[in-house]
Amino acid sequence: MSARVISRDRISGFLDCILRKYPLVAPVEEDGVVAYRRVAAAREVALDAGLSDVPPKTHFFPQTEVLFHYSNLSGLEIVEPAGAPETVLFGVRPCDLRGFAALDPVFGGRFKDVYYRDKREKTTVVGLSCTSVLPTCFCRAYGSSPVDGTGADLMFTRLGERYLVEVRTPKGARLVEDCADFFTEDGVREAAREKEVLARELDGRFVRRVDLDSVKEKVDGMFESPYWGKLAQRCLGCGICTFLCPTCHCFDIVDEDRGDRTGCRLRCWDSCMFTDFTLHTSGHNPRATKTERVRNRFLHKLKYHLDRYGLAGCVGCGRCVAKCPVNIDITRVIAEIKEVD
Amino acid sequence: MSHRDNPLRPHPATILKIVPETRDVKTFRLTLDDDEAMENWRHEPGQLAMVSVFGVGEAMFSISSAPTRRGFIELSIKCMGKVTRALHGLEAGDKVGMRGPYGNHFPYEQFKGQDLLFVGGGIGLAPLRSLVDFVFAEENRADYGRVEILYGARSYDDLCFKYDVLDGWTKQPNTHIYTTIDRAEEQWRGHVGFVPAYLEEVAPAAHNKVALICGPPIMIKFVMQALQKLDFRDEQVYSTLELRMKCGVGKCGRCNIGSKFVCLNGPVFSMAEIGQMPPEF
Amino acid sequence: MKQAVEELRRQAAGLLKEERVKCVIGWTQGTDVARAVPFFATSVRQAARLTWTPFCVNNLSKYLLNHRYDNTPLAVVVKGCDSRGINRLVQDRQFVRERVVVLGLPCGGMLDREKVLRVVDPGAALQEVEDRGSEYMLRTDKGEYGFEKREALLSKCLECEHNIPVVSDLMIGPQVPSPAGSGIDRFAGVRELETRDPAVRSTFWDRHFARCLRCYACRNVCPACNCKECSFEQAVPGWQQGACWLSKRNHPGQNYLFHLIRMFHVAGRCIDCGECARVCPVNIPLRELYRKVMKDAEELFAMKTPGTDPEEVPLLSTYRTDDPEEFS
Repeated sequence: MSARVISRDRISGFLDCILRKYPLVAPVEEDGVVAYRRVAAAREVALDAGLSDVPPKTHFFPQTEVLFHYSNLSGLEIVEPAGAPETVLFGVRPCDLRGFAALDPVFGGRFKDVYYRDKREKTTVVGLSCTSVLPTCFCRAYGSSPVDGTGADLMFTRLGERYLVEVRTPKGARLVEDCADFFTEDGVREAAREKEVLARELDGRFVRRVDLDSVKEKVDGMFESPYWGKLAQRCLGCGICTFLCPTCHCFDIVDEDRGDRTGCRLRCWDSCMFTDFTLHTSGHNPRATKTERVRNRFLHKLKYHLDRYGLAGCVGCGRCVAKCPVNIDITRVIAEIKEVD
Repeated sequence: MSHRDNPLRPHPATILKIVPETRDVKTFRLTLDDDEAMENWRHEPGQLAMVSVFGVGEAMFSISSAPTRRGFIELSIKCMGKVTRALHGLEAGDKVGMRGPYGNHFPYEQFKGQDLLFVGGGIGLAPLRSLVDFVFAEENRADYGRVEILYGARSYDDLCFKYDVLDGWTKQPNTHIYTTIDRAEEQWRGHVGFVPAYLEEVAPAAHNKVALICGPPIMIKFVMQALQKLDFRDEQVYSTLELRMKCGVGKCGRCNIGSKFVCLNGPVFSMAEIGQMPPEF
Repeated sequence: MKQAVEELRRQAAGLLKEERVKCVIGWTQGTDVARAVPFFATSVRQAARLTWTPFCVNNLSKYLLNHRYDNTPLAVVVKGCDSRGINRLVQDRQFVRERVVVLGLPCGGMLDREKVLRVVDPGAALQEVEDRGSEYMLRTDKGEYGFEKREALLSKCLECEHNIPVVSDLMIGPQVPSPAGSGIDRFAGVRELETRDPAVRSTFWDRHFARCLRCYACRNVCPACNCKECSFEQAVPGWQQGACWLSKRNHPGQNYLFHLIRMFHVAGRCIDCGECARVCPVNIPLRELYRKVMKDAEELFAMKTPGTDPEEVPLLSTYRTDDPEEFS
């Protein structure tokens, strides 16, 4: 793996260089909320914003996506949207890189999701190490770390007034070549050493010590446990935890007709926490109460995703911990599961 | 974006014929507009297809025609909700969308040399019909032994596929059809009573036999109990499960029972498999 | 607040022991120092886990809806603002007042957890809180911290209308002074927005609504939202087939529609507990939106804040021929 160094004052030049060639999606701050959006200029990018409120899965799996337009006027015509352009997604934190890895097999497999795959293949992902650890962070429990570049094409790590840039894939190398003027190879070795120091320092800053040992084995036998009912009592049934989760992928498919036999079919995020998520037309609902829905969510995170794909369904980003209005805290749930008889 | 590989893009399809089955069930005979796609369409008994009414939405249905009957696809659909109501308002010649086939199928390869017992209730006969007609096809009939079909509905009018159940199938050799309706009616000369009770009355022998069930959840539950009493082992009994689906390809996340997606791992499960799954369906 | 905590636990234990209620809905300590969490005590032993701190933000009246179709006798703990929710739910016939024992807590205001966590280690254990009138003293295992209320309270608390519950069967703990500043204009935020140019206002709300995730946390936390089935979720389509009132599409226009429909829906029902704004994961200032309607109702129809008076007929349940027709 090769590496470069870029000085901090040249970052916006680099981002503008990207913008001359590719659409750029990066963290943007608005009214105190950080989310990933297409930007028009480097100054819009919230470089030091820390973990975003809304995860960057929005880029590959937008909240609403047109699947196709149809016209049923004279014969049936179905027109899919044009493919995605080559894009750069900048500033993805290590936990969210893991989130992409968790989504990949969902949108892959025997039936490949062309919408997700198309954007995934055409996007160069630039990772960004964390420089602080939030009280809600626990990526460590999943074997990741605040500086883990796994899944990135390029990995940026801020070290004072410069960044170490690790080139992890040919896609990453191409981006460095595209904007070669902004990088230098001088001081790479020193920066790499500094990154190790930073990694050790950040590792000591985790407030939440989460131990997943034996949790999977435990939840395998916990379907009927009264624990879920107790946990669900305070749940409001809103979609915050699922919508802000980097690994949640549930969606609904709806048609929007213009009233003239033309329209489009969309998919929109949906949430297993919503009452009507599994409601049958007959009125039967296999997950009729909050108890079943809360259980499904936690079993998805701690068991089902592992069973299906051999990958954890949680990356330890802590967004649900931070934002749940009633403090349903997955790190507490993990601890409590171990205590359940 | 290449649409040939897009699993969420339906094939344009045309309704060839609509057969009214009951006051709220119609069988739609469809063909894909693209000749090549129709030629390549291969489904297995028990598989599912997603049908679109553009502007209203999509819903998943069991395919009720046998794969041995080429050139069209039949779906028998009860008028229940948004999409089905729209479908019931369509006429022959109207355009819909079709994608699939999805899911697993009745493992008929394993049933060779055995007798078959079909137990259906109401619209639940639809997925079973695909297998019944497959077994009755000339090229397959010799592979299977005696066929028994026990079918019930709320009333005479609610019996689907009367032309098969009360006529065509009854003429098949080495076959017996038992029909029942829930409550007595003037002109009905057949059996009256619920399916599970009738099954116990008929008491088919379990030896070298596979039982295949489909119907409303409550019927499935009691039929399973009846079969247990008749000494059927869990490995001898298969049922199809139904859950709400949106994508049909294991992504939208709502048809899971535990770690399994019904759209990918189902809809056909043996009782032995169902026993291993959490009771959330 | 120690005295109130002890009394709360004693009263809750008594209610459970005498089997007057099956469950006391209160708060217990959450998973960090600046957090309390809704808690459902069903035994005397569990009653000892109830707490009362300046982090008990959750409006627990909403949880009464969990039991609206059974006859479980319940007790619920409320602050002043939350207590308006009790009156509203009774007015909406969501439960029978006699079935619920309301435990009222005079409240000196809720601290803004963000501000507290800037100073206090989130992993610290909260041992005791003292309400000194103009400030809170937090004693933790990692030290003592003082917070000036004027600086560190939630903004809704600085505009507090009822710090003493408007309805209760049992008042717990000593009376405390209202955290609201004297002569404060409760609708200052709304008035400020009203003075802006319509185009500026429009851009302001466009920007906020465009961020909406449609997670429905604002609706699900809201005691005014007590419909059995929400119109946004009706399975049977309305005027347009395929979509009900609005599309699931996350689009600024659709989101706008969602929030405006909700705004009109909670007119005369919103009790101004501020939970919607607190739970919103993308910081939409929802409280200001609903308070605009509240302010208009107060100015045009002399309506009190909904839930203040159990006898007052709700805004949209009254019709008077002399009602003014102005809209501002």
